[in-house]
Amino acid sequence: MEIRRESIWNDVFETYLSVNFELVKHLKRRRLPIVAALAVIVPLIFYVKVPDTADVFAATVLSFVNILIVVSAAMFAGDAVCGEFEKKTSLLLFPTPQRRSTIFAGKYIAALLATFLVVLLYYLTMTLQTAQLYGWGEIPAELGKSFLTALIYSAAAVSVVYFFSALLKRPITSTIVGFLFLMMILQVVAMVLMLVDQEPWFIVTYSANLITDVLGVSSSLPFGPEEEEHAWALKFSPDFGVGIAVMVAYAIVGFVTGMAIAVRKED
Amino acid sequence: MEYAIRTENLVKKYGKDFTALDGVSLQIKKGEVVGYVGPNGAGKTTTIKILTGLIKPSSGHAYVNGIDVTANPRKALRTIGALIEVPGVYDYLTPREMLTYFGRVYRMSGDEIDRRIKETLELVRLSEWEHKKIGTFSTGMQRRLIIAKAILHRPDNLILDEPVLGLDPQGIRDVRELIRQFRNEGMTVFLSSHLLREVAEVCNTVIFLNKGKVVSSDSMEGIGRSLELGVVDVKFLKSLSQEEIEKLRAIELVRSVDVKDATARLHYDGKPESSVQILRRLVSSNFEVVSYGMEGAGLEDYYVSVMSDEKGAN
Repeated sequence: MEIRRESIWNDVFETYLSVNFELVKHLKRRRLPIVAALAVIVPLIFYVKVPDTADVFAATVLSFVNILIVVSAAMFAGDAVCGEFEKKTSLLLFPTPQRRSTIFAGKYIAALLATFLVVLLYYLTMTLQTAQLYGWGEIPAELGKSFLTALIYSAAAVSVVYFFSALLKRPITSTIVGFLFLMMILQVVAMVLMLVDQEPWFIVTYSANLITDVLGVSSSLPFGPEEEEHAWALKFSPDFGVGIAVMVAYAIVGFVTGMAIAVRKED
Repeated sequence: MEYAIRTENLVKKYGKDFTALDGVSLQIKKGEVVGYVGPNGAGKTTTIKILTGLIKPSSGHAYVNGIDVTANPRKALRTIGALIEVPGVYDYLTPREMLTYFGRVYRMSGDEIDRRIKETLELVRLSEWEHKKIGTFSTGMQRRLIIAKAILHRPDNLILDEPVLGLDPQGIRDVRELIRQFRNEGMTVFLSSHLLREVAEVCNTVIFLNKGKVVSSDSMEGIGRSLELGVVDVKFLKSLSQEEIEKLRAIELVRSVDVKDATARLHYDGKPESSVQILRRLVSSNFEVVSYGMEGAGLEDYYVSVMSDEKGAN
């Protein structure tokens, strides 16, 4: 019992060390400052055309948070596993008294925390903007729910990229594949399914529409003059419970399979 | 007896066809500096990767200070410092940032980490670079930094795999000097290299590995003795003519002759009386002998003889 407790404590401490070290690396490589700066700068672009209501403004600004989450996941998780092998820093890191699983868990958590921070900054900036433009009383009541949904989607996106980082050999490949998978491949699959009248409920990027949908302004609804032509997209809107479950499933499956591959990987 | 490093019938197979290690058993005593030599692909790095927990053996066991590396890697790796192949470095970090992380991994206190960073960086002559980005370092400086990382936690055993690979002569000399210091401090050093001069200069014992098997193992003294037993170097006043070389070959006690300019290496049965006979024959045959002895014979000759024996056996 005592040995088991000591082993768990060792695992927790090593994971904490790994998280710390990864966050220092994200800072020193300037990735975290750059993506954090984007999170603050991007919402400011929406000052160009200010809508009449706070709800629409919030939904418009938040329609870009999905992209930011994917960029952030690709930046922080893209080289989490394969980067150590390609650069041969694994030869420094692994012959030390710590379990590989704790090192890789730490890397995942650090990528998650960095992405959470970026999402938090984005929401903070957007909230301050909304308050400044429409007053504090006009801030959408469901913003907290949207924020939590964005955090869950962040976990799913980080897990997907982390899985590719464990699966592929080169960090540049895993980063690009992860990015394209979330930004293009899944989106195309969802679109094709909708065109044939099937709801793409199991596609995580479709579930991510909940981030704005919970505000009552659907991001599934395309803006602009071609609205009529895109009527097929209006038919579907993700169910909140199912959407959250899908995101959680992607997060868990991506992380678990990524870890399983990572700990077995040999130089 | 508890050995610093011990392996029992280590086997490592990749797929069905390739056997990288084929029953390697090693026994390294505490405080020994052991050279692990062999041609490329002999299995040196595979052995070291098993000893440092990087890969698992297909069968067999590896122990460090009596602790099974596969069964209890955390405990075993606490007593090891390692430099394996040419590791990458975190270019964007400073030595202090990198070493602080590894100090924490080895559960050193903050004060101890501070003190050891200063000590180790001073030892590897990088004190002035403590707060500079590692990416600005030369290859030799990076290698010295990795050695500093390997000894940061004062390990009992240091495992070095090709530590001078890719270094310039100054870098090689620096690393050699560091290994000598570790030896003098009583550390067990397991040095894998294919540079025999490095091994000959710093090691007490040498293990020869070929095609995944240990083909020979002896102390440097033992190797020296066996070389003295079978080889003699003769220096002549001037280069030998073809006729003179044939005369050398014709001496009945001489098994084979290697000639280079005015020097000849004679291989014989190793008996002292045979050596005397050969010298007498040289003088009586009017060879102008300047020197006659074993000075030139070294680890390289032993390596060649061991590996060629193995080739013959195969």
